[in-house]
Amino acid sequence: MLIQEGMGIQEKLEILADAAKYDVACTSSGVERKNKPGTLGNAVSAGLCHSFAADGRCISLLKILFTNQCIYDCKYCVNRRSNDVKRTAFTPDEVCRLTIEFYRRNYIEGLFLSSGVFHSPDYTMDLLYQTLWKLRNEYRFNGYIHIKAIPGADPVLVERIGLLADRMSVNLELPTSEGLKRLAPAKTRDKILAPMRQIQRGIQVQRQEIVPYRDRRRFVPAGQSTQMIVGATPENDYQMISVAEALYRNYELKRVFYSAFVRVNDDSLLPALPGGPPLLREHRLYQADWLMRFYGFQAGELLSTKQPNFNVFLDPKCDWALRHLEQFPVEINHADYSMILRVPGIGVKSAKRIVAARRSACLEFSDLKKIGVVLKRAVYFITCNGRMMYSVKMNQDFITSQLLGEERRNAWDISQKDAYRQMSMFDDGFLSAKPDENEAMTAAMGQF
Amino acid sequence: MTIFTCSDTFEGILCGVYDAWTSRLGHKNVALELEGTGNMQMFTEYRQVQESLSKAEKVIQAVQTKAGQEVYEQIYRASLSQEAEKADRIYRFLIYALHYGKVILDQLQIPAVYDMFQMNRNVGNEAYLLIEFLRFSQTSDGVLFGMVGPKNDVIILLAPHFADRLHNENWIIYDEKRKKAVVHRALGSWMTVEVSEPGWKERMIKSGDQEEFENLWRAFHKHIAIEERTNPICQRGHLPLRFRPYMTEFQRKREG
Repeated sequence: MLIQEGMGIQEKLEILADAAKYDVACTSSGVERKNKPGTLGNAVSAGLCHSFAADGRCISLLKILFTNQCIYDCKYCVNRRSNDVKRTAFTPDEVCRLTIEFYRRNYIEGLFLSSGVFHSPDYTMDLLYQTLWKLRNEYRFNGYIHIKAIPGADPVLVERIGLLADRMSVNLELPTSEGLKRLAPAKTRDKILAPMRQIQRGIQVQRQEIVPYRDRRRFVPAGQSTQMIVGATPENDYQMISVAEALYRNYELKRVFYSAFVRVNDDSLLPALPGGPPLLREHRLYQADWLMRFYGFQAGELLSTKQPNFNVFLDPKCDWALRHLEQFPVEINHADYSMILRVPGIGVKSAKRIVAARRSACLEFSDLKKIGVVLKRAVYFITCNGRMMYSVKMNQDFITSQLLGEERRNAWDISQKDAYRQMSMFDDGFLSAKPDENEAMTAAMGQF
Repeated sequence: MTIFTCSDTFEGILCGVYDAWTSRLGHKNVALELEGTGNMQMFTEYRQVQESLSKAEKVIQAVQTKAGQEVYEQIYRASLSQEAEKADRIYRFLIYALHYGKVILDQLQIPAVYDMFQMNRNVGNEAYLLIEFLRFSQTSDGVLFGMVGPKNDVIILLAPHFADRLHNENWIIYDEKRKKAVVHRALGSWMTVEVSEPGWKERMIKSGDQEEFENLWRAFHKHIAIEERTNPICQRGHLPLRFRPYMTEFQRKREG
């Protein structure tokens, strides 16, 4: 391991941002807090994304590792012990100063601090605690802080750090314990789940207090989250979303993040990914995640052991609707909210607007368009006043073929970005521009 | 047809609403227009609105008692919109709102309500994006200076957020297109000012002395992206090009 002394702050920042970038969680939501006299900063419950990086991911927090030195040797991780990379560490004061100065200039919403495991979990966690304590008490920072709990650290440290941070997360990394054993031999499932349970208990205890202390800091007010790597181990989508559902239900997590596996290490235990990271699969998992959190779907409805993976061509909601055509069409003017929410092309906002607007009027298709419904998907599944927009056969094959054109283009864009494609003269769903009049004329006359 | 012309301010539009309403010509026979916009029409009488605080206050009073605070906030935000027809749209909306009360906000199937909803969404969204994308740079005397060029006149909507967040700082948010600024004094309150002095902006930009952190931020922005996932279309969808000239991470290093 090469530890460099006397490195400039810019070089340190570059190394430790590079080392942290594979962590996906970068949200600043879940807590609303006003500024206090003498402190800097507040928090907005909807969250703010201050910038977007070249990969299209949001930059909300200053996402850095405290150090990239690590005693573990997890196969998928860029900072594993056996990798020959430059190693460095911040000092608590450097982290505080960067956070404050970036925050003042409105670059960031707060700090996301994680770390490689340096000496021992306890030692690392203590360093993180010291940093946060300084930031909150000496630098008087009142903005958002997201901190990683290091698996295996002392529960006392987890509890103390939880009072300084807004959100805590423990990374599950791989959805099954077999995968974990193979790729991260030093971590065990129990070690990861123990702090998760502790954080949940801490939040629950606080909720049950009859008279909350007014000025006391709350324990992890924005809840906890976790992350799973997609495509490093052979688990299927059904296993992934079942694990996610269990986490939401049993551990009351705010978010589960999915991160498409990027092959940063050359290791025989890791899968080869000739087509790049599995971005489409990650996208489908997020779609399913949203369906479970906001649309009232269960993991068992979306997938089953018989159909363990998501459809490449159709999003999970369309896929579910096509398998349950007996429940459609839905009458927009009478159906209850939960059923309207299940129609492809209608989201939470438009469903709420529909329910509010139909109290005073009878809605037509033109009104739905204003409300924000995506009619090109929804028309096959809804009626207004008992009529459909066009006469549509309620036939699975027909509707599938209608929906496919558009979905295929989206799926293609996600999985094959920047790639060229063989042009087809027939059934080409990808031509975006129509030929203009002159072109059409010359083509018809045969004058190319 | 009688067209009432009013100035492009919230109070101006409210006075226009008051004059048009109390002219008793009938809603169908009147329209509102901002001064200096639109073409002259034939067979139309033009009337200049006489602005006074008492007229505007009467309209505000009526809106707040009959339609509630939410409707009032919506017409205020709409008055900041970039739409040229916003004055008439506010008038058409108020015809419904003062009759039905606050339930009108849900009835998007009515064109006048939908227009209002759209203007509001546009202004609200842009203000929210600018709260995210505004960048301050520090001048030599420690003042934070941020410049924006929004489509709608939104800097007044940004002020409360930053007044709370950066309460201990002196800061200025400058709207380049409208030559307006919001100025906040440390530990104090904020106000809007019209900036007419030429060269003021250049002086503010030049006197920035804390390039160290701007360079660090650029380095961070570059290194946080995962190369294997590069996706400029996704980036552009979230962060449109029109914001980027004002943002530190997309500006090149300053010369000199």
